[in-house]
Amino acid sequence: MAAGLSLTYILIAGSFIAAAGGLLGSFALLRRMALVGDALSHVALPGIAIALMLNLNILWGSAVFLVVGTFFIWLVENKTKLPVDTVVGVFFALSLAIGALLATEEEILDALFGSIVDLSISDFWIAAILSLAIIIFILNYSKRFALTFISNDLARSTGLKPSILELGFLLIFALAVAVGIKLVGALLMGSVIIIPAAASRNIARSFNSYLFMSALIGVFASIAAILLSINYDLTPGPAFVLVAGALFFISIFFRKN
Amino acid sequence: MADEEKILEVRDLTVKVGNVALVENISFAVKKGETVLVIGPNGAGKTTLFRALIGSVPYFGEVKWGEGASIGYVPQKVDLERDLPITVREFFMLKTGNIGEAEVKEALLDVKLESEYAEKGISELSSGELQRILIAWAVLGHPKVLLFDEPTASIDVAGQETIYELLHNLQDTHDLTLIMISHDLTVVYKYATQVLCLNKEQICFGSPREVLTPEELSKLYGPELTFYHHLH
Repeated sequence: MAAGLSLTYILIAGSFIAAAGGLLGSFALLRRMALVGDALSHVALPGIAIALMLNLNILWGSAVFLVVGTFFIWLVENKTKLPVDTVVGVFFALSLAIGALLATEEEILDALFGSIVDLSISDFWIAAILSLAIIIFILNYSKRFALTFISNDLARSTGLKPSILELGFLLIFALAVAVGIKLVGALLMGSVIIIPAAASRNIARSFNSYLFMSALIGVFASIAAILLSINYDLTPGPAFVLVAGALFFISIFFRKN
Repeated sequence: MADEEKILEVRDLTVKVGNVALVENISFAVKKGETVLVIGPNGAGKTTLFRALIGSVPYFGEVKWGEGASIGYVPQKVDLERDLPITVREFFMLKTGNIGEAEVKEALLDVKLESEYAEKGISELSSGELQRILIAWAVLGHPKVLLFDEPTASIDVAGQETIYELLHNLQDTHDLTLIMISHDLTVVYKYATQVLCLNKEQICFGSPREVLTPEELSKLYGPELTFYHHLH
């Protein structure tokens, strides 16, 4: 642990990030944007590379690129009616290319796969506070998001504005990716958001349990991954994906219907 | 028609995708408590008209709802994923926020379903049950107007009769103005106070006995009707 933060801090930060990611993932699956969300996280890469060049915290670099990139994607989708996966696909490839040109190989590896065990105290507070803010925001708007993603027309008939809610959701999504990059890296951040929610969906019968189990499975996988990576000298990002992936396969056996 | 009686007034409504008009120059007015049936062949723009009324698609012209005219909407179909983890009670709560036991029971009773349905998952419902739940959802919070878009398939004739009776009862108990799309002309004669015939353009609007003359019907369903005559 290079920065000298105790394991407790790392576990708490990891849990917060995973809880926010899992919760967000429940809604991302409702919106059928599992793969889009995954690709979107790569938009952070040029921001990370620039932050590294300027010696800034990579979180700010990735946050700026993600938020601006997401807004731009929303705009292009709304103005051109291109399918969102086409738009994100183009942005994803561009970002990866720019990121690869700007950063060195070792830095790119850290950015791609994460390094939560090198957490600094400011990283800790940023991750904890932003994750908590994301959780509160999502819970506060959960009914509106759910209705919008289940049926745009039903949402509109009650006076909701789907396009504004979707922009709000995408921006929160971008923020969560920026925060999560420290834990699992840009390449695997999609997994923090998608896999726990996908496992939860297999076993949950009600919406409340769906949200709760998504967050819980994320937290469990995060704690297990951090402990595994410290004890066996593994990279935490891939360890998280393996634990969460295993939970997903187990959940298939408990699938309802 | 005095202004205060009107709950909806539509003037020169046109919805376009690119340069193609899905519906064109629709004008009609609805009074409180009426039952308006919208009829027309497939692809006539009936659902598009509804989506314009709730503001779901951009349009030209004017859609003026009366003061305080809250709307309940039952779409033709809702693309629910089969494994959507949400119970009927939670689905109701998406509209109302917190909801009391009595309200849930009343909403289910409105559509002739037992209170046990509150805890059922949306994905466990048959298509007929889901339609009732969507109707119950639409009238939650006591809207003044109910827009009902009838499904073209999947519900049998016996089931359909019950749905119309159910809507008719709801209209009485909830003091609703009902605007519905139907594919069944017998329903028009039984329930409608006004009928709007649509085939991209407005073919007719008025009381069923006045406007549903053989000439108007052949204008509306023209080629298909001729086709049927040839068959028999």
